[in-house]
This record gives sequence, C-alpha cells and structure tokens, in this order.
Amino acid sequence: MKIYFELNGKPQYVEVEPGESLLSLLRRLGMKSVKEGCGTGECGACTVLIEGKPVRSCITFAPKVQGKRVTTLEGLGTLDDPHPLQKAFVEAGAVQCGFCTPGMILTAYALLEQNPDPTPYEVREQLVGNLCRCTGYRKIVDAVLLAAEWKKEGKWR
Amino acid sequence: MRAGAPRSSCLTGWPRGILGKKGGTVRLRGVRRYHWARDVDEALSLLSAYQGKGALLAGGVDLARSPRTDIEGLIDINGLGLSYIRSENGGLRVGATTILAEILGHPVAFEYAGGVLGETLRQVAYPAIRNMATLGGAVVSAHPWADIPTLLVALGASVRWQGEKEKEERAELVDLYAGEFRKIFRKAVLLEVVLPPCDGAFAFEKIGRNAWDIALLNVCAGLGLREGRISWARVAVGARPARGERLLWLEEALIGERLEEALWRKVEEEVKARIEVEDDRRASGEWRRQVAGVLVRRALTRAAGKAGA
Repeated sequence: MKIYFELNGKPQYVEVEPGESLLSLLRRLGMKSVKEGCGTGECGACTVLIEGKPVRSCITFAPKVQGKRVTTLEGLGTLDDPHPLQKAFVEAGAVQCGFCTPGMILTAYALLEQNPDPTPYEVREQLVGNLCRCTGYRKIVDAVLLAAEWKKEGKWR
Repeated sequence: MRAGAPRSSCLTGWPRGILGKKGGTVRLRGVRRYHWARDVDEALSLLSAYQGKGALLAGGVDLARSPRTDIEGLIDINGLGLSYIRSENGGLRVGATTILAEILGHPVAFEYAGGVLGETLRQVAYPAIRNMATLGGAVVSAHPWADIPTLLVALGASVRWQGEKEKEERAELVDLYAGEFRKIFRKAVLLEVVLPPCDGAFAFEKIGRNAWDIALLNVCAGLGLREGRISWARVAVGARPARGERLLWLEEALIGERLEEALWRKVEEEVKARIEVEDDRRASGEWRRQVAGVLVRRALTRAAGKAGA
C-alpha cells in the first residue's frame, strides 16, 4: 500500500507494508538517526515527532502517519549546520555512545517548544522515558537547560 | 521486588521473552491490510468481515506489542471524530480516541474532581506514550495493573459503545468490567467515556518500581463533605494484582463519619485486614496488604483536604 506524509518538511509518497513499523519505514528512507533499542516502546531511542509531539516509532504502524508531519533529527540539523539543541548537547558533554541522543534531543525539542523556560524537574519529567546507559542523565539535563538559555537569548531556529 | 523474579516489560507486563525477536514490523506478524475507517458503521462492517481476525487501531500502544499472530486486518478509527473533551453539567464526556496528553493539557479536565485526572495521568507511562495512548484504549485493554481502570471505576464512569449499526449502548464501567466486556469489544467500537458531575474531590496514589513503571498497587479515593461529615465516599484499589475494584464495604462505613485522625487509623487497619490481594511475580500479597492500608489512608486524607476539610 502507498501512503503520503511529510518527512522533515518534504513530501513523501511511499510504499509500506500494512504491519510495518514507522521505525522501519524511516530507516528505509535513510533516517538513520532513528534507532531501534528495545523495540517495545520503552527506551526512547526510536523517538520521532509526529505533528510536533514525541512518539515511539517502533510501536507506531507506518500507515498511521498518513497525511501527517513527521520530524526526525535529520530535520533539525546537519553535521555542517547543527541545531542549537545539538550544539548544547556537545557543549554540555551530554553525548557518550550517542545511541539515545537523537531521541533525547527530539523529546527535549518538543519540551522547549511548549515550555521555553523549564525547571530541571520539568526536564527530567519530560525525559523520563528516554533511557541512557552512559551519561547518568545529569549532563543531558544540563544540556537542555543550556539550550533553553540560548533559546531565551534568541540563539534558536 | 523479590529476588530472582523474571524481568518484565514495564509497559505490557508480559515477560520479555514473550515479545520475541525485534524486526522491521511491529509484533503483529500476520497483518495483510490496513483500513482507515470513515465512520463507526464502516469500522463495524470491516470488523465483522474479518471474523475475529481484525483489530481496531487507535493509539496502538498495546496492539503494536501484542503477541497475537492471527490479526490480518487493522482498522484505524482515528478518523471517526472520537477525539474530544466536552464539559457537561459539571461532568465530562471524553471521546474514546482522545490521547492522554490531550486530557492532561485540557484545563477543565485537569481540574475535574479535585484535579484527579491530571494527578493520575501524569503517572501513566511517560510523555511519548501519553502522546499515543488513548483513553478508550486504556478502558478496553483494562490491564489489571493499569491506573486508568482504577481511576474510572472510582469516579463512577460509564461508557457508550456501538456494536451494531445505529444501535448505541451505555453501561457503568464497573458493571461492564464485572461481565464479559472483552467479548463485547471484540465486535464493538467504544465511543466515549462519561464522567459524572462531582461535588467532592478525588486523589490518586500509586507505588511502582520507579516514576514511570506500572503499578505494584494503585488507589483512587474520593469523598464529599457536608457539615464536617463524609456525605459520600468512593474507594477503588487496583493492581492487587487484580483490576481496580471498589471497596463497597468501606465506602458505606465512611458515610456520616467525622474527619478525625482516629478515623484514618481505623481505615488503614480495616483495609489491611479485609482487602483481597494476592502474590504475583512483582510483589507479595502480604506486601500489597500493608501498602493498601497506607495508600487508601493517604488518598482519602488528600481527597478530604481537596474537598475542603
């Protein structure tokens, strides 16, 4: 079956299997920032934004995004031109193996869109379903708070 | 948590081994067709045509991880116009496909019954799942450890559904759960959850292994006050490990009582003595018995505070 959706601002008209996961579809389309961790929606490595809201792509049926707007990390920034949130993760030392980072950044991005001035508790509350086995979380929270500062200063897009 | 207990999925409650190998498809291996139903009648026709091998899809959080291999057709019901929250005479009507995050973000829903919807839903999984999971899905899945059935049973919620063309039915959720509700919803579309007006306040208490885990025990309790005495009370305890059920004996005993420390002590002791709990691989029955008394007391005292005591 074919579905239509918008991926990182670009229209897509693609063939999918009815039982295919959105994770699988996005990786087929080259979005390698979308990781499969647990495969059961618990770890957050596969997080993407649908209509600006973080969801788990590993437990989302691909046809469910018909007509919707999907954002992956590739839609936020590139190696040459990283998004301020990506720069904040580097600046704060919030990346070690990096497997959880795309999901962390997209979840944090959705938080800062809704709440530009979060408390450390609100950051933790938002990221509670994104697991990181390396960093111990403190630097990830620091990175999001740093990004929030930059956003207030207008260093954002 | 007992030593040596098998690890289980925080969201499904199934042992991890059941979930099988990961792969490009979600877990329903046999899916052949995906339909976007345009109205309830079409969804029912499709469901009927699949003769038990079709499934309604709203949030899909449970369905995507189901170990079932016999489902051939998915029927997406997100286009049926069942995503809404309406305030009505002090109560609420919530469409079945309304996601939990929408309820959390809705000012009237957030304030209903002393803010118990917000209090509870903030403890259900985590933001990404609350952006997917629907209220109707929680009602129909009705996992015994789930928080939402305990909440809705305590609130006295009823549900409307359609099982045949142009024939709507309605029942109290507590009655539905006491009967063959799974059989009903194999052939029906849940339309909405109706929450009655509330002239008191409710509070929700839960203990899990961490902030976003499923409950080892959950309690929802509410009461109304008149001239310093309890005029009505509702108490439901879930994840016992059985699904949330009301403690009718306690609710009756509380009516007319004054809010005193001695009452709360007695409540705690009575609950510990009379609650029906069992062991499972997450917690022992004895642990649940002790915790139930404490959580019921906490929920009732907090509800009393919200109700103006």
